[in-house]
Amino acid sequence: MSKAAELAKIGEVATNGQIGGRRNMVINGAMQVDQRGATVTASGYSVDQFKITKTAMDNLVIAVTQDTDTPSEFTTALKLAVTTEESAKAVDELLDIRHIIEAQNLQHLEFGTSTAKKLTLSFWVRSSTTGKYSLLFLLDDDTRSNLQSYTISTADTWEYKTITIDGDTTGVIDNDNGIGMSIIWTLSAGTNFTGTPHAGWGAYAVTEDHAHADMVDFAAVDDGTFHITGVQLEVGSVATPFEHRSFGEELVLCHRYLNALLAYGTGNDNNNKIYNADYVNTHSFVRMGYPRMRDTPTINYTISAGASDTDYSSNGLIQLFNDTVTNWYIYDVLLEKEL
Amino acid sequence: MEFNSAKYLYDMEGVNKTHIQLNLGNSKFKHIVIDPANTDYQAILEWAKIDGNTIEDAD
Repeated sequence: MSKAAELAKIGEVATNGQIGGRRNMVINGAMQVDQRGATVTASGYSVDQFKITKTAMDNLVIAVTQDTDTPSEFTTALKLAVTTEESAKAVDELLDIRHIIEAQNLQHLEFGTSTAKKLTLSFWVRSSTTGKYSLLFLLDDDTRSNLQSYTISTADTWEYKTITIDGDTTGVIDNDNGIGMSIIWTLSAGTNFTGTPHAGWGAYAVTEDHAHADMVDFAAVDDGTFHITGVQLEVGSVATPFEHRSFGEELVLCHRYLNALLAYGTGNDNNNKIYNADYVNTHSFVRMGYPRMRDTPTINYTISAGASDTDYSSNGLIQLFNDTVTNWYIYDVLLEKEL
Repeated sequence: MEFNSAKYLYDMEGVNKTHIQLNLGNSKFKHIVIDPANTDYQAILEWAKIDGNTIEDAD
């Protein structure tokens, strides 16, 4: 880059406000937080905020984990490993990784107006399968999409990718706590998901706009591995260095969507229990407060005896009652309200 | 979502249904708040539409 071009870029970054305040709209982009701490083999979450979608893949066996094979400035990555390949991909089969951003956190993009802002996505990626991969930006409220691609040049080597897109002057992102934008890294797609996609932003049709017909089929290769980390989405047309946030900051941001209470995952240990307190008329209850989440969460728990017969919980407070058992507790408590 | 049974839970007064309790087996449970906007709740209602599937009333 020439000196003049470099100065122009610096000016653009300053104009966009990219050197002040928080830049990265992605939560847990460095894959540090893994509250469930479990290996994922089906659709679901491994590290916080990055969801695996495995649809109709009847042969494919995968293991998705937090991994320590990373570029030098990171310590954790999301790893998707193929244990058994999809040997006969059908039209309805799909494998991807998604990051979903809450709608009210994207209002400053001014989508749906003439001043909609450009966006730049950057990330580090490593794959055993070289070639073209699809990357989809999907707006939930007005069902709009923008399909892009990136290329893995060298197998099993970390590569840094940046993609800049225009703001969508048509699609509005509602100012609420629902889905705003999904960023979807597609790894394998049957023909129900590929067609002739429109360029730039446009109305989304799953059969045309989800993935490119000429993308690689990562799931078809046995023992394949795909790593990703350092995911950053920012305003403007310049990819700035990754905004490293502390583990504590990322954990607090993740708690709005998932809360693994106490020492979740350690089972029936004393430091992982919410004990009952006696109540009148043989009633007993467990009660514990927690920071409010995106909405009232689904509560997962294991119980020591019987089952709770009354649930009086609200957003921010667990209250489970039992009117017959007076000596009980719950453990491995997980609160879910992901997008 | 795999579970053995589904049951409504009520508030302390025993009047209003507050959650659906899914029994996952091995003393594991999942409580889904009754809220039309809740996607887990919507999924359970779809499950209940299938012949033979029932959300049991509280004991």
